[in-house]
Amino acid sequence: MNLYRSGKDLINQFYALVKSTQIYDFKNDVVLAAADKFVTHLDKILINAPQVEFLRYRDYIFFNKLRMRFEIEGYASLQFLSESFKILKLKSISFLPGITPDEAIRFAALFREDHDLMLKSMTAGDFRSVAVQFAGPDEEIPDFLQDGEQTKRTYFKALMVTKNLIQNLWTGQPVNVKSFRRVVYTLIDSISQDEYGVMALTTIKNFDEYTFNHSLNVGILTLAMGQRLGFDKKNLVKLGTAGLLHDIGKVEINKDLLYKPGKLTAPEWDRLKLHSLYSVRQILKTRGLDEISISALVSAYQHHWNYNGTGYPAQVPSEILPSFLSRIIRICDAYDAMTTPRPYHPIPYIPTLAVRVVWERQGSFFDPILVKIFLQLFGLYPVGSCLELSSGEVAVVLKENPGHIDRPIIKIVRNRDQEPVDGARIDLSVNADVNIDRAVYPQKYRINPAVYLT
Amino acid sequence: MDFIIIQNMLNRSEDKVSDLIQSLVKTVKAYQMYGLNHPSFRNFYKPLYEKLNEFLSVYGILDLQIEKFTILNAGQIVYQENEKDLSIAFKLFRDGIRDVSFTEGLSADELLLFVETIGQTAKDQDLALGLWESNFLHLNFYVVEEEEEPLNYLIPEPQYFDIDYDAQVKDILNQERIDIRQAIDPDLSDKELAIINAEIAGENAVQVAPAITTMISFLDFEKSPEIIDSLEELLEQCINRHDFFNARRIVQRLNTFPELKILEKFEKEAVILGFAELPDTLDDTAFNDFTAFLGFFSRKTISYLVRMSARVGRKDRLDYLRQRIAYLAQDDPESLLSFLSAGDTMVLINAIAILGQMRMKTIVSRFEPIYLHADPRVRIAVIEALFHIKEPAIIFRFLEDPDQEVRINTLQALTALRYQRIFNSIVRRLRDKEFLKLDIAEQREYINCLVGVGDLKKTGRLLEKILFKWMLFGGKKYRVMRKLAAQGLAQLADEAALKTLTAGSQRKNKDIRQACEMVLRNR
Repeated sequence: MNLYRSGKDLINQFYALVKSTQIYDFKNDVVLAAADKFVTHLDKILINAPQVEFLRYRDYIFFNKLRMRFEIEGYASLQFLSESFKILKLKSISFLPGITPDEAIRFAALFREDHDLMLKSMTAGDFRSVAVQFAGPDEEIPDFLQDGEQTKRTYFKALMVTKNLIQNLWTGQPVNVKSFRRVVYTLIDSISQDEYGVMALTTIKNFDEYTFNHSLNVGILTLAMGQRLGFDKKNLVKLGTAGLLHDIGKVEINKDLLYKPGKLTAPEWDRLKLHSLYSVRQILKTRGLDEISISALVSAYQHHWNYNGTGYPAQVPSEILPSFLSRIIRICDAYDAMTTPRPYHPIPYIPTLAVRVVWERQGSFFDPILVKIFLQLFGLYPVGSCLELSSGEVAVVLKENPGHIDRPIIKIVRNRDQEPVDGARIDLSVNADVNIDRAVYPQKYRINPAVYLT
Repeated sequence: MDFIIIQNMLNRSEDKVSDLIQSLVKTVKAYQMYGLNHPSFRNFYKPLYEKLNEFLSVYGILDLQIEKFTILNAGQIVYQENEKDLSIAFKLFRDGIRDVSFTEGLSADELLLFVETIGQTAKDQDLALGLWESNFLHLNFYVVEEEEEPLNYLIPEPQYFDIDYDAQVKDILNQERIDIRQAIDPDLSDKELAIINAEIAGENAVQVAPAITTMISFLDFEKSPEIIDSLEELLEQCINRHDFFNARRIVQRLNTFPELKILEKFEKEAVILGFAELPDTLDDTAFNDFTAFLGFFSRKTISYLVRMSARVGRKDRLDYLRQRIAYLAQDDPESLLSFLSAGDTMVLINAIAILGQMRMKTIVSRFEPIYLHADPRVRIAVIEALFHIKEPAIIFRFLEDPDQEVRINTLQALTALRYQRIFNSIVRRLRDKEFLKLDIAEQREYINCLVGVGDLKKTGRLLEKILFKWMLFGGKKYRVMRKLAAQGLAQLADEAALKTLTAGSQRKNKDIRQACEMVLRNR
């Protein structure tokens, strides 16, 4: 039995059961059928497990300690469960062996009620095979979750490996392909555990090491997109490799040109544009020819081709779309480039503006469907955005809220008097009292968002 | 995976796990010695799979902790081998693997892949990568990073500029023409969802065609040895996968560098004979790509191609293939002519057919020694070849052949070539008493030939005579002749012939009437 699949199915079935209890009478055939289906599936899982537990931590839902990911398929069910946990102030729900359809129906019906009624019912001893824990004021880290330190280690290890790879190619030294290949897998593992935690690290913008940072960030952002799209591991490896290596052809570009401050001349631009072509050669040199590099080299070559057929290095007949992976990379590359300071672009766009640009250019530069997925993942105020609030306070965005692209989870970092504070963490999707006035440059308040996110 | 029944884990027999690990170790060794397809390996692998599945069906999971030289299960040592070169524990430990667990549902293929992965003996083998890349569904593992020392990382400070940051935002909004108040709805419609799902599914196939396009584009810009090498590698893969469309694209591009001799390593007898089953199995498009690809081979492969195509069963495909080989040989038939003394009849027939496709009158005399070849199939092949070369006078000789099939083929060839000089000869044969003794198929071919080569008037008159011939005896025997004559008249289809048939349909003689009525009905 595939545990992840089982969890996903169970959430879908529970969602169907709750919805049916909200429409029909408990004795209605639709409700009974939904309850039967849910209990049968639950029983199957309980053959091998002492209990089935759904737990919420840092806005993630875990099913028997496995993190359930927001993917296109089953998005509504998982979002419903996550929202319900918030509204009912639940920390966990446990289903034990012996649960009957009747008990399942009664429990599902509580999801149309509020926290107080749920609390009353659960403490009245109405349920024998369902147990819930309510959330306390402070979130406790479940023991099965690794510390965020591991994610940080993965990021910086990946940065080091990427840097070594690029520098070695630059200087003609042998490259450690094994380490690089491992990096892709560790990033995939990290993103499957905590994509927002890893995405938060992409807010680290090192001006001096732009090339390395950018390659890694694009790799991470594309992997997060791939995961949201529901890619399997094999396709994630292709996408992650392509994302990490998309700009590797820059090692064939003169460093003086690459790091030239100020505007480039037309011939210099033409020369720089060749990097996507050179990436093809460098990918082959680095990885050899296999399924993954085949995919990566196409994506690298096409990552400056636009959805409407414009772009470089070659003009594409407009009826031929760039490859799917390169369309994903095109968006993530543009977003990271816009939000990263570079020699010829020292003041980047703030994330909110970059997201808006991506949205505006859908259909011309970017694939419109992928732009929607991008917006679902990044929200209108991406992780690391600095926000001025209606309260006069200043906050940094910690995480997106699935289903609420304009109401992220934030942390107050400046009080009304603009003094630095270790302020509250607020989920704007459940707190209607706080509103966003506008997104601003963090430099305006001398804030380094990366500090709050790492 | 520690959610499974802990109680069961504690209660189970350690011996079972030890036995399983021993069985695994032996299977891995068998793989290293014999490979996956050897029966000896199967003798180890099959019981391992059965035992492991039996275990998993009871306990749900088999969790193994890896230490330097030992493997533990639930805290108990179930395997120990301190010799580094022999120890499976050490091999796993060295690459950072600290835990391996098999879960219920493990398939035979997954276990095979696991054995294959950990049985690799290459020095630079990374087992963790191997396991990751295997993408198991029912096998989980935990890997620690190679260096556990703290990484020296610092969060860099952003650059601060003495500017009005709010004005900067406004400038960007103006420059990009963005209305920040515009509402955004990123929900996907059902149609968009279907499109994206189809795109995701499409990613499961290897994207060879765009990779070739990309590399070809690179070569248009620069002749890079790395790109050429990769294209050569892809070419080999394409040929092995029978993807001749893409193979052709690669060869077409690389042929612009004649010094590369791109196909040389494939122009081997073993490689080309390996294609023998393809003409019978490929679909139409793939077959067309295949034959087009053969067009790139040099003349030195002709003899291999002749032998290869001799094994093809499908006639239509074989004919097309022969045309391609003839095209490849162009005006140099020598390599094919050497096959005229071939002992293998199919090869000989094939060579004759290809020579025929070359349509060279100069080679006709080379067929002479095989006019009387014992095998009628060879003689038929010669007739077909002579037909393509347009040599009816020589074909005519085969009308005396002892084999009926050969004679029929001869008549067909002469008909198709409209060889008028044989008209009188055909007429003579029709009038001969012996003609009635021939098989109907041959008789029909004579009539067809008559219609094909004869003058309209003369033929019409002759057929009319045959149709209406008055018979005192042997009328029944002659019935077939009347039918054939009626059919011949229908083929002539001129006014006089139709008049004759109409008149025939009103005759009292039943045989004549029926023969005429039938052809008129079928018109």
